[in-house]
Amino acid sequence: MKGETAPTVIQSLREYARGVAGGLMFSLPLLYTMEVWWTGFIAGPLRLLLYGLATFVLLLGYNHYAGLHDDSSWSEVLIDSVEELGIGLLVSVALLWLIGRISSEMSLDEIVGKIVVEAMTVAIGISVGTAQLGLSGDDEKKKETSAPNEVRFGGQLVIAACGATLFAANIAPTEEVVAIATSLSVAQLLALMLLSLLLTALILYYIEFAGSKRFVSQNGLTSVLIGTITSYATALAITAAVLWFFGRFDQVALFTALAETIVLGLASTLGASAGRLLVQ
Amino acid sequence: MKKPKKNWLEWSVFALSLVLILATAGILIHEQLSLGEKPAEPHLELGRPVARDGYFAVPVTVVNRGDETAANVHLSVVLHLPDGAKETAEFDLPYLPRRATREAWITFRQDPRAGKLEPRVLGYQKP
Repeated sequence: MKGETAPTVIQSLREYARGVAGGLMFSLPLLYTMEVWWTGFIAGPLRLLLYGLATFVLLLGYNHYAGLHDDSSWSEVLIDSVEELGIGLLVSVALLWLIGRISSEMSLDEIVGKIVVEAMTVAIGISVGTAQLGLSGDDEKKKETSAPNEVRFGGQLVIAACGATLFAANIAPTEEVVAIATSLSVAQLLALMLLSLLLTALILYYIEFAGSKRFVSQNGLTSVLIGTITSYATALAITAAVLWFFGRFDQVALFTALAETIVLGLASTLGASAGRLLVQ
Repeated sequence: MKKPKKNWLEWSVFALSLVLILATAGILIHEQLSLGEKPAEPHLELGRPVARDGYFAVPVTVVNRGDETAANVHLSVVLHLPDGAKETAEFDLPYLPRRATREAWITFRQDPRAGKLEPRVLGYQKP
């Protein structure tokens, strides 16, 4: 029976390579953004530790609900998540060094900070890449056998959170979020919220987006309302956490923080709806 | 509980990953514990002036002795010449991370070896 024996070395190498490709695909914009490098030394060690911990929890959730191995036990999920985080660290060391962002003259503080900030998105990318980019027979079988009845509310929320993080983390470090947030009126912010909700509902329920039939329960207006609102709320919560990590809430008024969350929430809710359907 | 089926490569990658993660977390925890409350404290050190074609260059080392990062660090070095004349060179650093060192060059038209150099940190921001 398949799955009872260990994979061959070639098979595992292929899987790792797919993961690295996915990791780079999702995090290259971040590796090439200076605000992200700066966050490495502006955010203190405590914030970096929390970011690492949150990423690890997301990886556990994603690997459990959408990971490559359908029948994974928690020990396998744990091992997969540790590997993804480790490879994420390795990939970001290699790339940061290749693009000249870390060197031996820098303090250990600065080097480790930069690596940690970048490695977290790389790790989520690796997780998504390993599970999604494969085309081998096993994966095809997995797609067919993961039946709609396996879709659980909690699992969907976790995967929505992963999608939202990938999208939010790519924009949150930039100055533009603050620039937009501080220039918008209340009416414009409300319009952005409305647009975010509308997009979420359309993607999840009305435009036959890939995977929506399989992963989203489609019975009646109530489920549309509940699904849309929980998806958007998840996106907003993730947005706020990511903005806080990148220091965008430091020394700003509460209203500005809220405005930033709404502005970036549009990107995150796309991640939580469209992104979620694509990464599982 | 089912025992995971892995080959030697996968176990090695797992072991390496575990070491990397624990080392990284260890460094961060160590930093957090050793980090004080000291605000950013940029400090300028001047090297030996070098004569170049038409000007003189002085190597500058900027060290942050504080526990916080300084942003937009504005620095100047004034050259006081024996005849009372002054020449000022200025430069900026976008960021000076905590406990980090940055190297730069400043230049003067007159020979700094003939006078006295006065380094100054003009100002900096919290990031």
